[in-house]
Amino acid sequence: MRIVAEKLDVILADYNNSSSLIYGIGNIGRQDDGLGWAFIDWLEEQSICPKAELMRHYQLHLEDADLISYKKQVLFVDATKVPEVESFLLEKIEPKMDFSFSSHAISIPSIMATCRQCFEKVPEVQLLTIKGYEWELQLGLTEKAKQNLKAAIDFFKQNH
Amino acid sequence: MSRKLIIDPVSKIEGHGKVVVMMDDNNQVTDAKLHVVEFRGFEKFIQGHPYWEAPMLLQRICGICFVSHHLCGAKALDDMVGVGYSTGTPMLPTPEKVRRLAHYAQQLQSHVTAYFYCIVPDMLFGMDAAPQQRNVVGLVEADPELVKRVVALRKWGQEGIKSVLGKRMHGINSIPGGVNQNLSQEARDRLVNGEDGLISLDQVIDYAQDGLKVFKDFHDKNRAEVDAFAEVPALNMCLVDEKGNVDYYHGKMRIIDKDKNIIEELDYHDYLDYFSEATEEWSYMKFPFLKAHGREAGSVRVGPLARVNVTKSYDDSCPLAKAALEEFHDYTKGKANDMTLHTNWARAIEILHSAEQMKVLLNDPDLQKEDLILTPVDNAWTGEGVGVVEAPRGTLLHHYRANKEGNITFANLVVATTQNNTVMNRTVRSVADSYLGGKEQAEITEGLMNAIEVGIRAYDPCLSCATHAMGQMPLVVKVLGADGKMIDEKYRCAS
Repeated sequence: MRIVAEKLDVILADYNNSSSLIYGIGNIGRQDDGLGWAFIDWLEEQSICPKAELMRHYQLHLEDADLISYKKQVLFVDATKVPEVESFLLEKIEPKMDFSFSSHAISIPSIMATCRQCFEKVPEVQLLTIKGYEWELQLGLTEKAKQNLKAAIDFFKQNH
Repeated sequence: MSRKLIIDPVSKIEGHGKVVVMMDDNNQVTDAKLHVVEFRGFEKFIQGHPYWEAPMLLQRICGICFVSHHLCGAKALDDMVGVGYSTGTPMLPTPEKVRRLAHYAQQLQSHVTAYFYCIVPDMLFGMDAAPQQRNVVGLVEADPELVKRVVALRKWGQEGIKSVLGKRMHGINSIPGGVNQNLSQEARDRLVNGEDGLISLDQVIDYAQDGLKVFKDFHDKNRAEVDAFAEVPALNMCLVDEKGNVDYYHGKMRIIDKDKNIIEELDYHDYLDYFSEATEEWSYMKFPFLKAHGREAGSVRVGPLARVNVTKSYDDSCPLAKAALEEFHDYTKGKANDMTLHTNWARAIEILHSAEQMKVLLNDPDLQKEDLILTPVDNAWTGEGVGVVEAPRGTLLHHYRANKEGNITFANLVVATTQNNTVMNRTVRSVADSYLGGKEQAEITEGLMNAIEVGIRAYDPCLSCATHAMGQMPLVVKVLGADGKMIDEKYRCAS
């Protein structure tokens, strides 16, 4: 089972400061699309990283380039359908203008590239993607998605 | 052999639509249709929910103009509980001003998004530039300073929304009869003075003027092309105040013709007496029209261009927007402006108008007062309500009925994009005429696809709102013969 990428240097304790941002992307009204927010819920419930800025949003917007420009490190958390991710994947993201923009969403690499272009700096960014299965209009994660969330949480507990 | 040309879906709009152009044996365009192929659902699934959930749930139709849906629903709820405009009850000053503030903040933010993200790239890079360049990400590479200003404007608009609604998206503030909180002095000061990472209100107004200048510079250099692009006739409609000028939050619905004669003016609670909706088998989006004027003649345009056409003048408290509006009116010598791309001019004026209106409100001490809600008297419940606001894209209507238990039994939403359906189809037809009419080889060129998209995009249509679904935005173009066989086909992906 491929659960993590090469970069495993995220220790949540390192995020416990005001120059860190942990950003859950998703929509709890769309079943497993709520995985990103569920991870933020867990952080709040356990009082983990209380000094970091925690955020939930439906998708990224261009002004998130401004938001991350004030941070030294950012952890984005999102759900994924990608077949290669069996449970969860943690990876380092590099800036790249990929022209994936729509007025509803923009990619993390593009946000980072915009940040660098406009503000002449860019934080370290890691992305945690957690595998989801159902995206219908319904509240609540599927059981398999809950298991993947737990696996991701256990991973961070071990590295905490 | 007659032919059919299809663009499916249209990109850089909110939602999923496709375009079909029909051509006859003489290579003349005979018809053009904007198909909306998303499914409409919110009006149905809200039924059975408690009435007070409607403004909270229905705002989730859209991630762009959610404040308009929220306020429209709130106005309908005011009616239902017996303290709304239908009962002749004026709202208390503080809640009305708080609602207006959120509304103007959203208009600013939404217009900035549409204008700078989707329209300015067309202007700066040209309609024929590659789609990968003609977007705000292309703008980031070409003019990062402009993008910084756009980001700052949107961020300020979002802070305005968040300050009132509690969240930057899908917040809750309006409740039947009022609002659940005022604007704190601290939040007010922050918006006015700015702080580290947040521009001041004066900077917002400066940047809004910069945005208007982008259009004017573009227009100066491309006057003939801009003016000739899809000039399509339509009646113009918006909410107006007692002076006959646009009121984005409340007023009568006024409809004017090309000479700016008032052909109808109505209390929006009576909209069913005046409007009907036609349906077509090829689109989920309806075609509203004024019954007295018929399906074609009675179709109206709504949104920025319609509003600046209807409005005679802005208030003296908004001097920069007022001057910009006068210049706009002078251009067509007092006639209504039917030039589709001038919608972008109107949108830029409205960004400035929103900022100046917010300046007026943010200097009004009523926003910090504590009298937030009108409590209905016994037996005031009416069980039915209609709300109308001027959403960024145009006139938005919510109409609900509930049973005696307070559960929704009926909901009707007439959104701006639906109101603009006929005039958008006319725009597509006009563009197709220009590019294809009389040409022996009716080829789908990038230029044609881009032009049709630019024409539709001027309306900033939200097909997701109009059908109440979410959408995707790649692009497919097809040419079919009259027998349905494919003659030509092109694909374009959004990413």
